[in-house]
Amino acid sequence: MKGTHRLVSTIRQRRLVGLAVPVLAALALLVGCDRSGADDGAVTLRFWNGFTGPDGRTMLAMVQRFNRENPDIRVVMQRMDWGTYYNKLFVAGIDGRAPEVFVVHTDTLARLMRGRFVRAVDDLVGPGGIDAGDFDANVWQAVARDGRHYAIPLDIHMLGMYYNRKLFREAGIVDAHGEPRPPTNREEFLDALRKLRRDEDGDGRPETWGFVFTWLRTNAFSVMRQHGGRVFDEGYTHAALDTPQNVAALSFCESLVREGLAPSPEDLNAWIGFLQGRVGIAFEGIYMLPELQKQDDLDFGAAPLPVLGDQPAAWAQSHNLCLRADLEGRQLDAAKRFVRFLSDNSLDWAQGGQIPVRKSLRDTERFRRMTAQHAFAQQIPYACYLPQVPFAFEYLTEFDLAVERVLRGRMSAQAALEEATARIDRVIQRYAQQTNDLARAEVAR
Amino acid sequence: MISRAATVATLPATETPSAIRARTRHRRFLGRLGGYVFVLPYLTLFVVFLIFPLFYGLWLSGMRYELVSPQPPRFIGAGNYLEALRDPAFWNALGATVLFVVAVVPVTLVLALALAAGLEAVISSRRQSFYRLCIFLPTMITISVGGLVWRWFFNGEFGLFNALLEPLGVKVPWLTSPGWAMASIVLMTLWWTLGTPTVILVAGLKQIPRSYLEAAAVDGAGAVRRFFWVTLPLLRPVLLFVAVIQVIGGFQVFGQTFIITRGGPEQATRVLMQYIYETSFNMYRLGYGAAMSWLLFVIIVVVSLAQVRLLRQR
Repeated sequence: MKGTHRLVSTIRQRRLVGLAVPVLAALALLVGCDRSGADDGAVTLRFWNGFTGPDGRTMLAMVQRFNRENPDIRVVMQRMDWGTYYNKLFVAGIDGRAPEVFVVHTDTLARLMRGRFVRAVDDLVGPGGIDAGDFDANVWQAVARDGRHYAIPLDIHMLGMYYNRKLFREAGIVDAHGEPRPPTNREEFLDALRKLRRDEDGDGRPETWGFVFTWLRTNAFSVMRQHGGRVFDEGYTHAALDTPQNVAALSFCESLVREGLAPSPEDLNAWIGFLQGRVGIAFEGIYMLPELQKQDDLDFGAAPLPVLGDQPAAWAQSHNLCLRADLEGRQLDAAKRFVRFLSDNSLDWAQGGQIPVRKSLRDTERFRRMTAQHAFAQQIPYACYLPQVPFAFEYLTEFDLAVERVLRGRMSAQAALEEATARIDRVIQRYAQQTNDLARAEVAR
Repeated sequence: MISRAATVATLPATETPSAIRARTRHRRFLGRLGGYVFVLPYLTLFVVFLIFPLFYGLWLSGMRYELVSPQPPRFIGAGNYLEALRDPAFWNALGATVLFVVAVVPVTLVLALALAAGLEAVISSRRQSFYRLCIFLPTMITISVGGLVWRWFFNGEFGLFNALLEPLGVKVPWLTSPGWAMASIVLMTLWWTLGTPTVILVAGLKQIPRSYLEAAAVDGAGAVRRFFWVTLPLLRPVLLFVAVIQVIGGFQVFGQTFIITRGGPEQATRVLMQYIYETSFNMYRLGYGAAMSWLLFVIIVVVSLAQVRLLRQR
């Protein structure tokens, strides 16, 4: 008995030792790795972003190239889903643990800046740095607050028009050379929709549609801006959704559904319909390009949005590079070099379905060959960002609900937009109250 | 025997009753200490992750605690609770949640009871455990996986369900119409959660003495009467337990709606847990989120107590 017992315990001990060896080896390796980094004096930069799709691979390749070319800097990239990303970034930021470099969308910048961990980047531009004149004025303005700039724009991804060239040809919407002719204004747009809609078996369910609403938010926002509508008044003291311009814009969108020129959001998975070749026109972002290019049997074209109101406008969004507020010394220098590198090489980034914000990069033969990006980029002068307010989530929830209700025919544009305006005004009041309280408290002090 | 006699012999003859009492007290203390030592790991986790957050949440709910606010956190008493009562989004979310509970709980009870009774009717125990496994299997799938799969089932264009319905010429807007969306969520929830109540009810059925049923049969009661007059009343405590658990779970619905519909369309499935999540982690209004959590907690407690009262009465 005793002998067996001893044997078992010996085996156990051996097993433990056997287990401990690789674990210790792995630990040693990890520690070794860390030390090797410290020994050669390289500065480590943490770089966070939400590029979890194919764009993440493009970015990773750029980071790897930077690390190769700059042995004194080691950039460690971490990617996570955008939703999780902002929660994590925000909490890390206000706790002083933000990464050295991170990516922020233009319309999220205002909210993050309230956390006070985003550094002004004006010392990155100018002689020897990035030429601020190389940015379009509206893009550069979008990252400014009180005369300072808080991010280096990396790209601008905007809404544009994708159209099915095969359906256009079949419907006879072609120019003198027989090439498909995408609509540029309201009349041409409506005319195309009528020609593209086909219901051959006459069951009231068309086999092909002229147009679908994809992401209601970007579609509606663009049409509203084309009608001259705004979400807020100039000073952001009130919501301005219920203005005649916005009502007209949304009523126009609703009329497309009511007149059978576009399916109700209930009836068709819009973007998939376009991929399947059953839809003539869809307004979507340039970031859909890689997916479209994968669809071999789809002959699609890209063009600026048609002007459906009285002025051109297109929803846009940018990825921006931000630095943590308290960077200094070598870390700051390294971060500056890294940001500069990404900006200078943003044509590589554009390859994956993005548009660089640097005018000089767009003015190259390589960019002109990216036909879809090039077509969408024509809209940059009148690109519109969503309003930048700290309560973005709150107002967008109301905006989305109003648009959805109108397009589903459940409420008139007037009623839905009035309700949304009242609700957003309440949010504004709450925020204003806080700011006033704070001002009063400071005066009392 | 010998050793016991020896022990008795070694007892000091002079020991007083109080000394004996002290010693038993000491022993009892040691015994209890042992219990505490065993409970300690769990107790620590329980306090750190349940009791502490609960009361921290209560404290938060009285504060204006907003991460994006330029103001430092400030005590505002019942302010957050009053805001909830005036907040249409809160009432919309509560309405969606109540609708879900009202739809899902009775159907779950009836289906689980039917399944349990059906399982009991299967005599062969091996076959019974096979069926039980089949019914319980979906419960073991995580909600993210189940939710994603069902989102595909529900897809209007090339989802499984509409493909099956296509020969009938029917196209259901599973997730795109506000009315259907809630029904779809309920359907998915039934599939996902039916296992646990069924298994509990099977155990409850097994505890009913056969002699009662046999006696009823001898008295001429048919299968239906036996079920409604003997089985069901005796199952009452188990049914009560299942009902309470289901209601609590129903009020906490989150994963299904968040993954399948994100609260849409037209916020028809934006349940209270989602609104609380968005308030706390998208709007960063921790105080208000905590207050709504406490309101939900109170609602669950009140409803559960009412249920126990109502169902216990004879």
